[in-house]
Amino acid sequence: MRATLDLGAAPSLGSLYAKGLGAGVKGWLPGRKSPQLVLPDVEHRVTALRPERDSLVAYQRLMGDTVREELPSVLVHGLAFPVAMSVMVRDDFPLPLLGMVHLSNAVEHLRPISPDATLDVSAHAENLREHRVGTQLDIVSEVREEGELIWRGTSTYLARGVWLGQKQASGAAVREPFVAPTRTGSWGLDAGTGRAYAAVMGDYNPIHLSALSAKALGMKRAIAHGMYLAGRALAGAAPHGAGYTWSVEFATPVFLPSSVDVAFTDSGNGTEFSGWGARSGKPHFTGVVTAL
Amino acid sequence: MTAQSETPAIRQAVIIGGNRIPFARSNGAYANASNQDMFTAAIDGLVARFGLQGQRLGAVAGGAVLKHSKDFNLVRECVLGSSLSPETPAYDVQMACATGMEAIGSLANKIKLGQIDSAIGGGVDTTSDAPIAVSEPLRLMLLELTRARSTGAKLKAMSKFRPSFLAPNAPGTGEPRTGLSMGNHQALTTKAWNITREAQDELALASHKNLAAAYDRHFFDDLITPFAGVSRDTNLRGDSTIEKLASLKPAFGKNLGEDATMTAGNSTPLTDGASVVLLGSEDYAMANDLPMLANFVDFEAAAVDFVHGAEGLLMAPAYAVARMLKRNNLTLQDFDYYEIHEAFAGTVLSTLAAWEDAEFCKNKLGLDAPLGAIDRSKLNVNGSSLAAGHPFAATGGRIVATLAKMLHEKGSGRGLISVCAAGGQGVVAILEAR
Amino acid sequence: MADKYLELVNSGFTKNLAKTLGLPRPSILRRYAPGAPLVPGPVLLLGNSPQAQELSDVLLGWGLDVRRHAVGEGKVGAIVLLLDAVATPGQLSEPMLAAGHALRQLTPGGRVVSFSRPALATDTPAVAAARQGIDGSVRSLGRELRGGATANGVVLGERVDATAPSALAALRFLLSGRSAYVDGQFLQVDSATGALPEDFERPLAGKVAVVTGAARGIGAAIAKTLYRDGATVVVVDVPAAGDALAKVANLVSGTALQLDITREDAGKVIIEHATSRHGKLDIVIHNAGITRDKLLANMDAARWNSVIAVNLESQLRMNEEFLAAGLPGLRLVSLASTSGIAGNRGQTNYAASKGGVIGMVRASAAAFAASGGGINAVAPGFIETEMTAKIPVATRTVARMLMPSLMQGGLPLDVAEAIAFLASDAAAGINGRTLRVCGQSLVGA
Repeated sequence: MRATLDLGAAPSLGSLYAKGLGAGVKGWLPGRKSPQLVLPDVEHRVTALRPERDSLVAYQRLMGDTVREELPSVLVHGLAFPVAMSVMVRDDFPLPLLGMVHLSNAVEHLRPISPDATLDVSAHAENLREHRVGTQLDIVSEVREEGELIWRGTSTYLARGVWLGQKQASGAAVREPFVAPTRTGSWGLDAGTGRAYAAVMGDYNPIHLSALSAKALGMKRAIAHGMYLAGRALAGAAPHGAGYTWSVEFATPVFLPSSVDVAFTDSGNGTEFSGWGARSGKPHFTGVVTAL
Repeated sequence: MTAQSETPAIRQAVIIGGNRIPFARSNGAYANASNQDMFTAAIDGLVARFGLQGQRLGAVAGGAVLKHSKDFNLVRECVLGSSLSPETPAYDVQMACATGMEAIGSLANKIKLGQIDSAIGGGVDTTSDAPIAVSEPLRLMLLELTRARSTGAKLKAMSKFRPSFLAPNAPGTGEPRTGLSMGNHQALTTKAWNITREAQDELALASHKNLAAAYDRHFFDDLITPFAGVSRDTNLRGDSTIEKLASLKPAFGKNLGEDATMTAGNSTPLTDGASVVLLGSEDYAMANDLPMLANFVDFEAAAVDFVHGAEGLLMAPAYAVARMLKRNNLTLQDFDYYEIHEAFAGTVLSTLAAWEDAEFCKNKLGLDAPLGAIDRSKLNVNGSSLAAGHPFAATGGRIVATLAKMLHEKGSGRGLISVCAAGGQGVVAILEAR
Repeated sequence: MADKYLELVNSGFTKNLAKTLGLPRPSILRRYAPGAPLVPGPVLLLGNSPQAQELSDVLLGWGLDVRRHAVGEGKVGAIVLLLDAVATPGQLSEPMLAAGHALRQLTPGGRVVSFSRPALATDTPAVAAARQGIDGSVRSLGRELRGGATANGVVLGERVDATAPSALAALRFLLSGRSAYVDGQFLQVDSATGALPEDFERPLAGKVAVVTGAARGIGAAIAKTLYRDGATVVVVDVPAAGDALAKVANLVSGTALQLDITREDAGKVIIEHATSRHGKLDIVIHNAGITRDKLLANMDAARWNSVIAVNLESQLRMNEEFLAAGLPGLRLVSLASTSGIAGNRGQTNYAASKGGVIGMVRASAAAFAASGGGINAVAPGFIETEMTAKIPVATRTVARMLMPSLMQGGLPLDVAEAIAFLASDAAAGINGRTLRVCGQSLVGA
């Protein structure tokens, strides 16, 4: 049985990033031995979270969605994220936060969630496993209302160049060459896209904010937040008044500013979506939304 | 052929005539004209043509796609500034490029029901005098400032100001839900139906030649009233050639590379203009010694899901026509004229291709057999939007008046109108000669 | 286009200044306004005519104060000179001198109207001499009048009495403010046909009139005047002038017909529009015209031909259509020009067309009379229009002031009044004639 750590109040993302950054720098100090790769068997929890109505409206406006009395799935993710982060910056967390790559999300949004709901959020890490270029793991967040599980999200992260055991003989990528489908839309993402999303979500990760802050962390330019891209896709595809599941996989980052071509296609009881660089033709993300 | 469409319970709505101002390319001759200026001029020209001075009509309906917030009562304001009786009621309609068709069609319905005896329907648009909004953050700040009661609250609101707020928002032609311009949407459809560059250029050339020829034989003498020193559509290039059109570079669907076939020559440019149509009951027309050019038989709207790529943005008329033909017990070949709005040459050709395609007609339209081909010599015989231009809401009135006159000159038969619109919509209509 | 000079010398401080300096002071003309008195004072009836008493009764019936002899020092509104019975030059003396005696009593805007008979080749030399003498004498009298007063005459054709409908209508027109800029002219009445209107303020009530070239200037004024006089008006102009045309149509509650009158089928289109929309066609005003001035030495074919085509050939072609259609009682008035009578430098083409109109009207009169109608022309002199506004200011001021007896240019309205009169049924006895509206001048375009 996993232990539960009650955080009391949701931790501030700023301090979490600072801690993560510090841990990351520590992690790169020369002479540091590879730590033992074991995930902490603990679940962090915050109870009685209340979404802010202002941020709900701001979020829906940002995504070009209609303002409605339902919490969008990505906004719920944002509520849970500090709790998830708190797990990843634990001292006994085996992978460095800095440089960690967000690979995918899979979310079960089990029923519509009222903006007036009082939510309990818990998060833990699991499923540490090998990846072609390092090690990946899942952060699982769960959201409950009066004990009922209403939202469950699994975020998969990759730590490049960190190995569970022996470094793998790195086989060449056996990826199908990406062929862009027929676009059904186009997103013009300006340089301020990251800042606008951060302002709504309260998630000020430097790699999304500006070219300068991103460069400080080794990126050539700021990149769009993966959950922003997911949010844009869901705004056009997620059902209303019903539960749904959705998933997104990220391929290459969207450097800002950028023009992203997107395709939405009906897949029976859901919508498949994908996005790629309008000029580069490189795939950015693919995903699917399925009504429950 | 079937008998003339008649529904005994209702009376006919008759097209008496029309008027428009010449259409002018954006930021050209009408750069200083507002929607109100142009629509008022169009109404006044119609009033002059038919001697309607001081008349109280049943209704005037129309609209503009791009509207200033001050134009919240655009059509009524135009009526008040016109030579019509100020006791003529008026209202605005807005259905993107189908605004004019919807206004005219719904007025025809009111006449058929006996609610009104006479009406003017139409539309106007300017992309030169387009509304430019303040940026969204500035707008929100100003609204907050308006709501603020105390000095402190006002200061707090103002403290949110950033210089970047001053960047204005011009209206775009992009679809809000996809971010793609109409041209880039059509480029997808054009490619999906394998419409060639040559076919598109030929259609564009025919449009210019037909429109120029119509002017030369005085066809428009009683359909157009000059405005601001312009007496012909400024986009018209009667001397265009297939070579000139072939030399143009692709303007839309450039991401399609080799398959990019849509140019400025086979796409309509942004245009300013206004058009109106006078409708009435037979009794009204006879009592006022007014001509009866054609009956407004029926109209139908359709919409498609382009957001999820299920259908091309501008393909809704293909669906609307199928439904309307069925309701009227007609085939696609039962028409003497076809007026298919040339938003892009590719739109017209894709629509025609779809009607000929067995699979499309079966799977999408639910028909046992394809609607089939039309006699191309009956298509847009006096030119259409590629030559005349396309001030969004004004196109319906242009087409209805033009077709009604053509049918009246022929003296028999019927015509089909098809107008596509933003948002995946379309309105189609049937007129019948008188 | 307002005549600034005219305004200056007739108002306020500048009026006194002009007086002191002895500057020519053209008068503000007495123009017609509905409800205004027909004549601004008593009418002095001089001379002899078999119909003198009848005429006097008619004038009394019009509410005028008729005097047969000058009495006292009071003002006189008009002098009517009955000279139709004059048979020798000697008989001119008494009435002319009596008129001369009364001239100083003539009120500003007053009128002198003569009645006379035409001098014909078949007359005895003495009769012809006397009659022709009247022509020169009355015209000279016109040149002596001041204060916007005019002198004109009614010429009674064979078997036409002074009380024939058109003679009375012509008299009334010349007495009224409608003839403000008609000076030194003779209106010849050739038949006793026609009928005076029931309402002199709406002489065209119930009539359907077409005016070509109606988008602006004289054409627009004609449309407004015909509308004021009761007609339903169809205004015609080239499609390119359609916006101005629509404004005129809406002012006169008429219908606008955009039509190039040089089209082969222009006449048909006009007939079709008038009859289908308004039930009939009673009046056509051939006003549309263009100028393409150039000295003949520099004239090209395009300038020459276009002026002839628009101003003359189109009218000939339309008239044939009108005749063929057999429109009952159709009355036409064509726009000529004093240039077509006296000539004008740089207007060989225009004068050919306008002189041509005078000839056309004369030669078409019988044909239109056959179906109860008629055709006449009006020849304007210097009229203040957009066209003449293009003439340089100095030339314009001289042209409008020095030459005409009335020392000013006319207004489009003045031309329109003459046209409205000739278009009316009351003018049915006048046919094939050309009336000049020139303020007694021969300068003009």
